[in-house]
Amino acid sequence: MGNLTKEQIQDRIREEAKKALATGEVSCVVGWTKTRFPDKTKPFFAYTDAECDLLVWNEYCINSTAKYALDDRYPEQKIGLITRGCDSRALNRMLKDNQLKRENLYIIGVVCDGKENPVCDGCQHKNPLTYDVLIGEPVEETINEKRFTEVEAFEKLSADEKYEYWAKQYDKCIHCYACRNACPACNCVECYADQYRVGWQGKAADREQNQVYGLTRVFHVGDRCIECGECERVCPMHLPIMRQTKKMLKDINDLFGNYECGLPDDSKPVLGEYKLEDPDEFM
Amino acid sequence: MSVKKDSSWEPVILAFCCNWCTYTGADTAGLNRMKYPENVRVIRVPCSSRVNPQFILRAFQKGADGVLVCGCHPGDCHYATGNYYTRRRFMLMQRLLEYNGIDPKRFQAKWISGSEAAKFRDTVIKVSAEIKALGPNTKFAEGYYAQNEGGNE
Ligand code: SF4
Ligand code: SF4
Ligand code: SF4
Repeated sequence: MGNLTKEQIQDRIREEAKKALATGEVSCVVGWTKTRFPDKTKPFFAYTDAECDLLVWNEYCINSTAKYALDDRYPEQKIGLITRGCDSRALNRMLKDNQLKRENLYIIGVVCDGKENPVCDGCQHKNPLTYDVLIGEPVEETINEKRFTEVEAFEKLSADEKYEYWAKQYDKCIHCYACRNACPACNCVECYADQYRVGWQGKAADREQNQVYGLTRVFHVGDRCIECGECERVCPMHLPIMRQTKKMLKDINDLFGNYECGLPDDSKPVLGEYKLEDPDEFM
Repeated sequence: MSVKKDSSWEPVILAFCCNWCTYTGADTAGLNRMKYPENVRVIRVPCSSRVNPQFILRAFQKGADGVLVCGCHPGDCHYATGNYYTRRRFMLMQRLLEYNGIDPKRFQAKWISGSEAAKFRDTVIKVSAEIKALGPNTKFAEGYYAQNEGGNE
């Protein structure tokens, strides 16, 4: 967008990745490389200069790179990450949740030009918010007026219609946990869903266990969701997961003020703090 | 869970009560021989913020028709701040459940202090009547596929 073409950005990414490896402080750079499908890329770990030349930048660089940083929580060297706006918010999420240390990351920020991904239409932060080097000139940020329109429309349905809709969605869920694995807010070392013997949730992939899983995850990430859309993108059964997570964010906005996660400030998650003057409905 | 509704049907209501206020209030109600509906099962918790939102989902799953969470008034928490977290958490939970088709009357929260025995009784009577009017809860309940043919096609 604007100043650099896609090819120029790609060249700069390769150049910065090589520079990072050359310092000896960075063990690998996580980005994307091409696949045998012209309209797909895959996440790629570049350890050598030759591998850096395989990094690509195009409209199909969709997978989030950020969560790979969690695969090595105690790295001996820094992890290099090619980072778009959404990846930087994901990193901020994990940094704030104390899952990563900033000094273990080397962040190569790239001003994003939008990808072939539905969430990109509503993206409010194309500029990386946290980075060590930045590729491209920051663009003007946009406000997404339609952030909650889908949720608002859904709220108007009757109770039974809402229930039926979600129950049918959860009928489809196969309990694969892809949504959790892709989500930067789902960064727990041990997820409650894996603790079968504690009895939080049954193992069967049936309606009621899926409902418990779906709603519990929504509640767990509700005040920390960065709206990256990864959960919904990776769901093999096409559950509209963000329609739930955005409901939480909308209510938080309504009750506790304008709220967006993944920004590089020192705000706490809404459910991790309180104010004496919060509204009270339980008197 | 049976979904038959006849005149003898009584709702199952779980009331999570904080040890320091509401449970004491319920105790006082008992000592004063106040009468309140026996379909309320009181579960004592150390603090209203001990109640994990998942308890509510699991309660509906296991056949509860209504859930009530009660704790000390804001400012009176035995642990100083617990109920402030409860307040935020359950305002959001109630809305999320409503968004998923659960009537907000089926999940309520109330502040009831140790001296408010009458408030405990009145709350329980009111909630119980409201849930009786709503009828048995089948949403989120276990055994959907067993009771309904087909299920996931
Ligand atoms: S949009 Fe989905 S994947 Fe992204 S932070 Fe929110 S819940 Fe997690
Ligand atoms: S579902 Fe909950 S417990 Fe599991 S990883 Fe996500 S936030 Fe953590
Ligand atoms: S990714 Fe989809 S199918 Fe898999 S557990 Fe999540 S909601 Fe269910």
